[in-house]
Amino acid sequence: MTAGRPAPAAPPPPPNRRRRMSLRARRRALPWALLAPGLLVIGGLLLYPLGRVLWLSVQDYGLRELFQGGTNFVGAANYTDLLSDSYLWRTALPNTVLFAVVAVGATVVFGTLVALLLAALRPLARTIVISCIMVAWAMPAVSGTYVWVWIFDVDRGIVRQGLEAVGALGPEGFNWFADRLAFYAIVTLNIVHHGFPFVAVTVLAGLLTVPKELYEAAVIDGAGAWQRFWNVTVPTLRPVFAVVTILSTIWDFKVFAQVFLMPGGDGANPAMLNFGVWSYQQGIVQTAYGTGAAIAVLLTVMLLAVTLVYLRALFREEEIR
Amino acid sequence: MRTGTRSPWASAGIFAAVAGLLAFTLFPAYFMLSSALAPKRTVTGTEVLLPDEVTLDNFTYVLGDAGFVRYLGNSLFIAVATVLGSALLALLAAVAVSRFRFRFRTTVLVMVLVVQMVPLEALVIPLFLQASSLDMLNSLLGLSIVYVALSLPFAIWMLRGFTAAVPVEVEEAAYIDGASWGRMFWSVLLPLVAPGLVATGIFSFITAWNEFLIAYAFLDMEEYYTVAVGLRQFAGQNTTDWGAMMAASTIVTIPVMVFFLFVQRGLVSGLVQGAVKG
Repeated sequence: MTAGRPAPAAPPPPPNRRRRMSLRARRRALPWALLAPGLLVIGGLLLYPLGRVLWLSVQDYGLRELFQGGTNFVGAANYTDLLSDSYLWRTALPNTVLFAVVAVGATVVFGTLVALLLAALRPLARTIVISCIMVAWAMPAVSGTYVWVWIFDVDRGIVRQGLEAVGALGPEGFNWFADRLAFYAIVTLNIVHHGFPFVAVTVLAGLLTVPKELYEAAVIDGAGAWQRFWNVTVPTLRPVFAVVTILSTIWDFKVFAQVFLMPGGDGANPAMLNFGVWSYQQGIVQTAYGTGAAIAVLLTVMLLAVTLVYLRALFREEEIR
Repeated sequence: MRTGTRSPWASAGIFAAVAGLLAFTLFPAYFMLSSALAPKRTVTGTEVLLPDEVTLDNFTYVLGDAGFVRYLGNSLFIAVATVLGSALLALLAAVAVSRFRFRFRTTVLVMVLVVQMVPLEALVIPLFLQASSLDMLNSLLGLSIVYVALSLPFAIWMLRGFTAAVPVEVEEAAYIDGASWGRMFWSVLLPLVAPGLVATGIFSFITAWNEFLIAYAFLDMEEYYTVAVGLRQFAGQNTTDWGAMMAASTIVTIPVMVFFLFVQRGLVSGLVQGAVKG
């Protein structure tokens, strides 16, 4: 692109020719020289491990293989073991997929409602409210999770005390973290609280670009507020909704700290594991690296499938370019 | 979207909605802070909601006896190393993809985009084995290198936008003045993309500071804990010292909050761009 470089001044013809060639060759090599360090790091620490996790997933790989070297190829045995286990279908899969569906749905709906509210505010009030919302997004997952655990603490938490004060909970209390539904309800609350600001801010940016004329025309046609939202806002903002849904899905499929740091979420209570924590539990903790890798591959494949389905739907309609 | 004046009922409704939203949004942060500042004798949720006395006892305990200063130092080292490493590598790569046309350029860009979607959970086992065979577990440097790789794709993608925004004419003017490519890069391009470098640097800092999974897998010696891992030591088997836990959480959260406010605009557009453009 930057070819407007002056040729070196008046060297004798034959060397000049050779020198120009080498300059061109150098220009061709320059982008690769610039890319090389970055690509090396990405290749060595992201792509190579990705290949290795696939290779590990078809091995019975434990501490012995780690220390003595060698491979112990077992074909698809890890996968058939996992997929024939009812634990995967009854516990880990719902904890991952069902949770992600609910969390994404709740995040997108709540975020959109907040965006609509923000659009109705005056600019100054809007800026202030957005800044406050950002606090929720900026909270690190680790400390945010501990705050929610403290809020729902079984013995001294504020929710327990509040429910006890209004008589909704007896003095014996209730262990939310031992109940699967309540456990994941708290995870969902944590995720929605952390994830809605991104949706709200992105949808708001989209809302502000919708031409006013469209709404005015709809009003003239006699459309109510709900019809205006459903027939004008939603179709115009479909690409924006697609983006926030894809990103939220990718994020919510692989929540780790938000589950792991909850009481019992680190594998102490098998009913609470999702694919990410299960893989960690099998691989790093139990040193069954092959099994852990197979679970991780299944998670990645699910993630890939979701992304592809979304992308195909998007690009087929050519709404995003 | 507003037409004319609002009825008082509508205004009241909007006011109530905003109040509810702010209460929901800010409550965890407020509760974290109030629990951290409450005196040691208050132990229940309702007691610390509105503490009758504010004290820094929890903070002095966390930073002093609990040894959190050490974790802060470790995290700071790792975060700074990550920022420097990924800023340098991302800048070089961003210049390559935004300033040159070459074969496989699109392939490289798509690869950078796709690699962002790889879940950490898929990487933790092979990275753990790799680090263990290289004797890099319990190494701050080893963890920093991993974080450079984790933050690099997004950093390249974000910086690419900043370098592409610098007009080619500015570069050409430098060449006409007799500058070499290296001189042009150093004296013309670099100052112009400095704001982008700051934004991506902050992003990398937050990534390294917040990361839990890899750090928890890699570090089993207390002296190397990062803040994200170190927090876990306040969580007891049966009872947790919530005052200390919330004080430590506050310390972890503050730098992220400060940096986050700087980059929020760029973060939103960067994420959306990264997801949309191919």
